[in-house]
Formats: sequence, C-alpha cells, structure tokens
Amino acid sequence: MLSYVLDRFKSSIVVLFVVSFITFFVLMIIPGNPAQLILGTDATPEAIAELHAAMGLDRPLYQQYLSWLLDLLKLDMGRSYVYGESVTVLIARSIPVTFSISIFAMILAVFIAFLFGMISAIKKNSIADYFSRSIMQLGAAIPSFWIGMVFIVYFGVKLKILPVSGFVPIEQSFAGFVKSITLPSVVLAIGEVGTLLRIIRSSMLDSLKQDYMDMARVKGLSAGKIYIKYALRGALTAPLTIIGMQFAKLAGGTVVIETIFALPGLGRLVLTAVEHRDIVLLQGLVMFITAMVIIITLFVDISVMFLNPRIKKFQQGEL
Amino acid sequence: MRKNVSLILGIILVLIIIAVWALSFIYMPYPPNEMSIPSKFLKPDIDSEHILGTDNFGRDILSRIMYGSRNVLLVAIGSVTLGTLLGIFLGAVAAMKRFADTIIMRIMDGLMAFPGILLAMMLVTVLKRGIQGSIIAISIFMVPVFSRLVYSMILDTETLLYIKAAKSYGSSRRQIFFRHYIPAMLPRLITQFSSAIGSAVMIETSLSFLGLGIQPPFASWGLMLSESRQFFLGYPYLAVAPGIAIIITVLGFNLIGDGLNDILINRGNSNE
Repeated sequence: MLSYVLDRFKSSIVVLFVVSFITFFVLMIIPGNPAQLILGTDATPEAIAELHAAMGLDRPLYQQYLSWLLDLLKLDMGRSYVYGESVTVLIARSIPVTFSISIFAMILAVFIAFLFGMISAIKKNSIADYFSRSIMQLGAAIPSFWIGMVFIVYFGVKLKILPVSGFVPIEQSFAGFVKSITLPSVVLAIGEVGTLLRIIRSSMLDSLKQDYMDMARVKGLSAGKIYIKYALRGALTAPLTIIGMQFAKLAGGTVVIETIFALPGLGRLVLTAVEHRDIVLLQGLVMFITAMVIIITLFVDISVMFLNPRIKKFQQGEL
Repeated sequence: MRKNVSLILGIILVLIIIAVWALSFIYMPYPPNEMSIPSKFLKPDIDSEHILGTDNFGRDILSRIMYGSRNVLLVAIGSVTLGTLLGIFLGAVAAMKRFADTIIMRIMDGLMAFPGILLAMMLVTVLKRGIQGSIIAISIFMVPVFSRLVYSMILDTETLLYIKAAKSYGSSRRQIFFRHYIPAMLPRLITQFSSAIGSAVMIETSLSFLGLGIQPPFASWGLMLSESRQFFLGYPYLAVAPGIAIIITVLGFNLIGDGLNDILINRGNSNE
C-alpha cells in the first residue's frame, strides 16, 4: 500500500522532470533573441547585449536550465515581457476564472454522464441506450468553438438572458458570476460528457454481470438499492479516475473556450504567450499547468485506491 | 448488428469528405480565394450561383469548403501517418532493446502529460505557422499514443510460443518485427489510426481557429469559423457549412475507429 503510493509519487516526479526538460529545451530552440523581442527593433546592439547578459542568456544552456529549475521550485517564473508583470502573479490572477468554469463544467458533465450512462447500461440496447450513445458520438465530433458560437448567438443575442463575454468575480456579484460562467461551462461539459458516459456505461455493464448482483436480486432488494448500492458502487473506480483526468485537463486552461467567451483565464494567457512569442511566460505557464495536471492525477489515483477496498486489499496481498 | 452500423455510417461520412476532396482537384465553382466585394454576404440559396453563399470578401463558401478539405485532410492524415511511423519505431525500439526502454518510455510519459492542445501550441510557437508547422506539431502529439500501444503489445506477444520459436530459429530482430509483430499488431494500429485522424482534424481546426494553424488567405474550416466570428451575429449562415464539414469528418473517422474496434479487437464479445 505505502509502496504503491511511493511508486506513484516517484514516477510523478520523474514525469515532472521530463516535462520540465522538454518545455525548456523545445522553447529554447526558438529563433530570435528574447532580449531583442523585449526591447524592440530600434534598440541599440549594446542595450540588447546588456539585457541579454542580464537575463543570463549568454550562459551555457544547461546552466540556464538548472537556474530556471531552481527558480521554479521557489515559484519564481520570471517576468512576462508582454504584460511586464511576474508570471506567478499573472497565473495566480487567472486561476479563479479557469477553475470556476472547470469545476462547474465537471459537475454538469458528471451529473449528465452518470444519469445517461446508468440508464444506458441498465436498459442495454433499448432506445434510450441508442439515443444516449448517439448523443455521445455526436458530442465528441462537434467542435467546442462551434457550439460556443451558436450559444452566444442564441442565448446571448437572441434571448439576451446570459452574458456572452467576460468574467464577473464572485466577490463582485454572485449572480453575475454564475451568469458569466454558465455558457462556457455548458460548452465545456458537452465536450467532456461523451468520454465519461462511455466509461460509466461499460463499468456499469461489467458490474451488473458480477455474482453479487444475482445475490442482490435473489434477496429481493428494490431496484434502486440494487443499482445504486451494489452496481454503481462496484462501477466507480474507472469513472473516478477519468473524472480526475478530465478535471485536470480543463483546469489546465481551456484555450478555445476562454478565447470565444473572452475570459481572462489560463488558456487566454497561453494564447497570448504563443501569439507574442513570450517565451518566459509560456515556459512558466506550460510548467505550471502540466505540473498541476500531474499532481491532480496523482492525487486522484491515490484517493481511488483508498476508496476501492479491492485495490487496497490487493496491494496488501490479501486477495 | 450495431457494430456494423457504426462502421457503415462512418465509411459513408468519410466517403462524402473524400468525394469533396477529390472533386476539389477537378472542379470548384469559383477560385477559393477570389474576392468580389459587390457579391459579399450572399445568403445560401440552392438556385443561385453561390449555393452556400459568400463571405465578407464575397468569396464563394462552397469553393472554400472544398479547398479547405485539402488542407484539413493533408494535415490530419500527414500528421497521423508521421506520428504513427515514429511511434511504432520508438515503441518497438523501447520494447526490443532493453537499455532504450527507460529513456524512450519516460520521454513518452512526459509528452503524454501535457494536457490537451498545450503541447501542439507550444510546438507551433517554435515552428513556422502553416501546414508544415501543424503537421509536425500534431504528429508529435500522436507519437506517445502509438509508441505506448506498440510497446505494450510487443511485451504482451513476446512470450507467445510462435515468437519464441522464431527466435530459436535464429530470426533477426528485424525479421521478427516485420513478419510477426507487425501482423499481430495491425488490427489495433488500424483502429487507433482511424480514431487518431478524428482527433487530428479536431486539433487542426482548433489551431486554425486560434490563428495558429493554416494562415489566411488560404482556406481551412477552422480558419473560416474564426473569420466568421466578427460577422456571425448578422450572418449566422457563415458558420454553418464549416461546422458541418468538421462534424462530418470527425464523426466519420471516429465511427470507423469504433466500428473497427468492435470487429477487429473485441470480436463481438464486448460491452460496447
């Protein structure tokens, strides 16, 4: 048990290290001098050389990498040249936006996916099953930016019930906050429901085949008890892992959605950094986002293990 | 029964797109980049000269959809092919040469860890934007998927009797790889290939939509949607055709992937 946790921990550290390596070296092969980019084209060569040295760009690559890594551990990710602000501050400011829409979207997606996934599994090959699976296939094929555009026109412009862009912080107005995140969250949720529904359906089908299900039926338990207490409980492991991964992915910045709805989140920052080739900002963002995803995944894996007595026992060698 | 439905529907949808693509080399109603300001914002009308209407520059939308199919398919199929070949190579090397195993597979874990299109966006920053940049960026996105698949499949088949027999006959690694592993892996690879094209189309259109993929004035469905954003409120039809084109393509390749998965891999005993 402890050894499993330690193993997962160790491999996460290795992956983080590899990610930092890839991020740093991929972005370092960018043509063009960052000092030149910051100072603009009319800067004197001396000024550029001076800034170049001040930024430590004249040192060997491995030294730059090591000092970048050390700064990263101190949460010092440098200064963005587009915004002229510390990358850490920029990220901290964007987190509430991205997290709000991600959490809201996941709650929505989980609710819909469990509802339809369970119905689909219990009434296998019924019309309801075909219907929910068709919706799932279609949901996976519709580009989120397209749904976003349709929603903006329909709900924002025709019906005028929801704002179509911008973010209202929760401290400012709760109603405004909820309204401002509704459309983006719904669009995100549509994109995530399909995968989740598929996993829930197949784990549910597996769980329905188990012997303890026959036992529960023989005992004459009510349908609700059978499906919720026995079947669903046995079918939770895989969906929980997927939910964790999906949340991590969304929390990592939903570039397209944030662009359409003009939300000042992590994804927007990524796009700005890419558009302006703000390497320092992009390095910081990529590292932060990927580290967050890795940590959330690790956390979910460990919690799932604690929640599932079978894995726990298996790890302890009792099964 | 249903298994074939997915596959057949998928094949029909993909054939539609391939027909549009093939036709674009023979006939397009108008040159796709030809602007004509007097005839801008014409609504779709079957009886008119512009069946799907025109955009803000008076360019014929049908022609741009047809031309766009070339870019979308070139990027999607090119990147997945490149990613598959590289993935198979790296996965096979990792599985068959012990010392390479750790290094290659850890790099793949690292590549897998970047969420969503973050990796593609990072690569596009370094590469030149356009068809080439998109192909390379998306292919690197695909490499870890295929290399992990090949790696685990080789490790699974390694202990099978016929592989052991081949080894004892003194077959070289290359012979074993091409004569035994590749045929054994083919069903899974084909399935994965088809689904990967679906996701590649999605990534390409997203990149183009964000302005990081195919550059104007060239046509790409994602770019067409992005260009229509400013005028979308007044002229919603601008977004209909590119949206439907994307949905047909992605749905088609996904359904083929699913259908093949049921037929080739699960062989009817699955839950799907």
